[in-house]
Amino acid sequence: MNLAWDDALWALAALHIDPVGMRGIWLRAPHGPVRDEWLSLLQHLRPNVRRLPNNIDSERLLGGLDLSATLSTGKPVTQAGLLAQSDQSLLLAPMAERMAPEAAAILGQVLDNGRVTPHGGGDTQDARLGLIALDEALEDEPCMSESLQERLGIWLDLRHLGRQETASDEILGLLGVLASPDEAADTERQTVFERLRTLRLNDEQIQAITQMAQAMGIASLRGPLACVRLACVLAALRESAAVEDVDLGRAARLCLTPRATQMPAPPEQEAPPEQPPEPPAEPPDDEPPPEDEPAPPDNEPPPPEQAPDSPEEDTPPQDLGEMLLEAALASLPPDVLAQLASTRATQIRGGGQSRSGEVRQSRSRGSPLPPRPGLPRQGARLHVLATLGHAAPRQKLRSPSAFAVSAQSLTPRLRIRAEDFHVHRYAERTQTCLIFAIDASGSAALHRLAEAKGAVELLLAQSYSRRDQVCVVGFRGSQAEVLLPPTKSLVRAKRSLAGLPGGGGTPLPHAIKLALELALQQRRLGVSPSLVMLCDGRANVSLQGSGGRAQALQESLSWANAWRTQGLPSIWIDTSARPEPQAEQIALAMGSRYVPLPQANSQRMAQVVQAAAR
Amino acid sequence: MAIPFPFSAIVGQDEMKLAIQIVAIDPKVGGILALGDRGTGKSTAVRALADLLPPLQVVVGCSYGCDPASSAATCTDCASLKATGKRPKTATRPVPVVDLPLGASEDRVVGALDLEKALSQGIKAFSPGLLAQANRGFLYIDEVNLLEDHLVDLLIDVAASGENVVEREGLSVRHPARFVLVGSGNPEEGELRPQLLDRFGLSVEVRTPQDIDQRIAVIKRRDAFERDPQGFRDEWALQNQGLREHILKARKLLDKVKVGDDLLRLCAQLCQALGTDGLRAELTLMRACRSLAAMQGHKAATPTHLRAVAPMALRHRLRRNPLDDTGSGTRVERALTEVLGA
Repeated sequence: MNLAWDDALWALAALHIDPVGMRGIWLRAPHGPVRDEWLSLLQHLRPNVRRLPNNIDSERLLGGLDLSATLSTGKPVTQAGLLAQSDQSLLLAPMAERMAPEAAAILGQVLDNGRVTPHGGGDTQDARLGLIALDEALEDEPCMSESLQERLGIWLDLRHLGRQETASDEILGLLGVLASPDEAADTERQTVFERLRTLRLNDEQIQAITQMAQAMGIASLRGPLACVRLACVLAALRESAAVEDVDLGRAARLCLTPRATQMPAPPEQEAPPEQPPEPPAEPPDDEPPPEDEPAPPDNEPPPPEQAPDSPEEDTPPQDLGEMLLEAALASLPPDVLAQLASTRATQIRGGGQSRSGEVRQSRSRGSPLPPRPGLPRQGARLHVLATLGHAAPRQKLRSPSAFAVSAQSLTPRLRIRAEDFHVHRYAERTQTCLIFAIDASGSAALHRLAEAKGAVELLLAQSYSRRDQVCVVGFRGSQAEVLLPPTKSLVRAKRSLAGLPGGGGTPLPHAIKLALELALQQRRLGVSPSLVMLCDGRANVSLQGSGGRAQALQESLSWANAWRTQGLPSIWIDTSARPEPQAEQIALAMGSRYVPLPQANSQRMAQVVQAAAR
Repeated sequence: MAIPFPFSAIVGQDEMKLAIQIVAIDPKVGGILALGDRGTGKSTAVRALADLLPPLQVVVGCSYGCDPASSAATCTDCASLKATGKRPKTATRPVPVVDLPLGASEDRVVGALDLEKALSQGIKAFSPGLLAQANRGFLYIDEVNLLEDHLVDLLIDVAASGENVVEREGLSVRHPARFVLVGSGNPEEGELRPQLLDRFGLSVEVRTPQDIDQRIAVIKRRDAFERDPQGFRDEWALQNQGLREHILKARKLLDKVKVGDDLLRLCAQLCQALGTDGLRAELTLMRACRSLAAMQGHKAATPTHLRAVAPMALRHRLRRNPLDDTGSGTRVERALTEVLGA
């Protein structure tokens, strides 16, 4: 039996029983047999679960005027939106990672309120539902909107499951009953739901869940809340009279562990009291013990006092808490820490604004301007509202009764002519992302790493006023790394910069390659990237991370060419003591503006970049 | 309306609750900006706000919920009602707390052409948007820092003028839109423009309670609420009622509260020491002091009140160096000690 798959099925049953209480599930899995299996089981349980098309507009989501019906009948026909239609039920959102921010915001609100106001006003309708969000994002891609993730009770990650997983007979039998075609399934669901009403967690259990959430660095209280609810649902499913440890463990694995931002120390069999304080002294060593490795410090929102908390929790032996922790840790795949770090990193990216990429780009880029008369062609979208608005007052004039009454005109319909057509217009307000690539190698550090940092800080202050995104790549030693994924938070940019040490070789090819990848990624998101390279051009580490000036230069030049062919703008600030021909050579290959700054100071550097950016 | 979580059942969050009460007593203090991580109960507190406020008298048939008592605020609806010569009917309804969803279209926010009327009768009519709904109430924006720029611009303008002017799609409408702006967000995810920041009267920093017992209490109450919202509300109805009466009493007292010149001088000194631009900070400080004094049943505002409200009123107004990450809270504290003495 595979524990993860077993849990996945329990989650499914819980969602079926109590969609509203659970709020839904964030299901991370690629399109594949595992997910298909899960979804087909869902199909059995709820044959008519509605799907939420990715390109849905707010009108369809919230309900409002049914345009086609209104047009054909000539009378206003209102229509319930998908949300109101899914009241007391589940709603399936495939490709949730590409969901338009507008739709995600509406969904988040509805999950909170359970009410929906139709487009254009009107009475609010009940929309208490559970959302099944299917997220197919790969490791390095931005995943579903964070505020939506937060609201969904269950978080399930099936990315690491193989295809032929088995589950316990208990849950399979249960699903069988719940999915049976006759009325038995309905009654069973009702009984479970009734049982759920009477089930409560006792104080000790609630305390255990809360403590565990805190130990895992889960700041939000929605996680433990969902966990409390899920534990009751699971107990009800098992026909148990009370919530037991097995329910708590399962609920913790589905609601808490995936939300963890730090790993609590696993309960040790015979923990000597001196052990907890020891690990903090160790990290400077080459290999810190895995349980002590928090997510990268910059990305760590939970308050710092978490650390002293967990040891304290270890000292008084708390059976329930420890049991829970053990149960939760059992579900962790081995590479969870690496994953933890990567999820945090990906989540930060984009700030939630340009998630849906190209859809959004073509659909609504920039701020809307009033629609203007024109035909919907060459990508321009018809502005229905304006078109109808233009046609509406002219209906009487165009009424055929003035001339002749034909058989067709008996059915009243709106008379729209080409002259009525209006199209959408948007003011292009492209967002820009400044990528700073900073050479922190020994040669640069010697000369003016500090100055470069100062210049970048000044530039950051300027980009703040323009509300640009910034992104910092540092390179030294054997490779380049993204110190800060694109963000608008300048405090974080500054922090990442301050933490950049100097010394080591100059892996310039890798830096250009990384910058190029970042830039292309940003461009796909509809952001215009530009690069500020601060480097002395003395490349001496190749892509493989080995030394060798000749090869490093060769690779730098070829990546520089790649940069130029993409037509991306860049500025090269030569940070060496006197102008370096090699830097100029690479800058030329990149098509960048080369700025030697033999007597640079931060102010001056910033001025140059600012002038060039204009 | 969905049943909101009762205000009096909110655990912890003292600063947030204080700010909400201050604004409930005197909406002129301005809006509230609540900053903090997700899942800390910011939106719960905001949505519970209606609990504190006495219901409004509105003109029946007016889309903007105008006050029947005031003759000055006339919207087009009231004007046409008046033209019929009949006395407008009035009704009571709870103070609106309107959610502005992130990513709302401009149509929904400002209002648009009424399709129904356009299609069925061929009439060009205005269908009011969220700004109209929020008139005389509160406009709540979750994740305000992720709001699209063009919406921010729009809100800044309306919040300042108290009037929504629609000139689009061939419509030409202006209607009252006086609302208190309440925003919440996580500053780690993006920063707010100073102009928008300035529109908020008070700002509070919300954290999850770190105390385990408090967290447990939150979870228990929330769970009880989700199981039986109405029952839970009934349980807390008495406390809510008490709170509401308290607010009403404070509102009556508000005009009688004296704010002496000494205190105004202190306000000005404080603002000067912190280098806040404009007089808005001083005004907010003064109003918040008065409101707090009224809340506590005092006849005059004192430096103690000032000390209590200053961080909320000033924190977000400091001219900020985007790269300076020392908390603005500490800067306010420092200035307070300087001006008021230890």
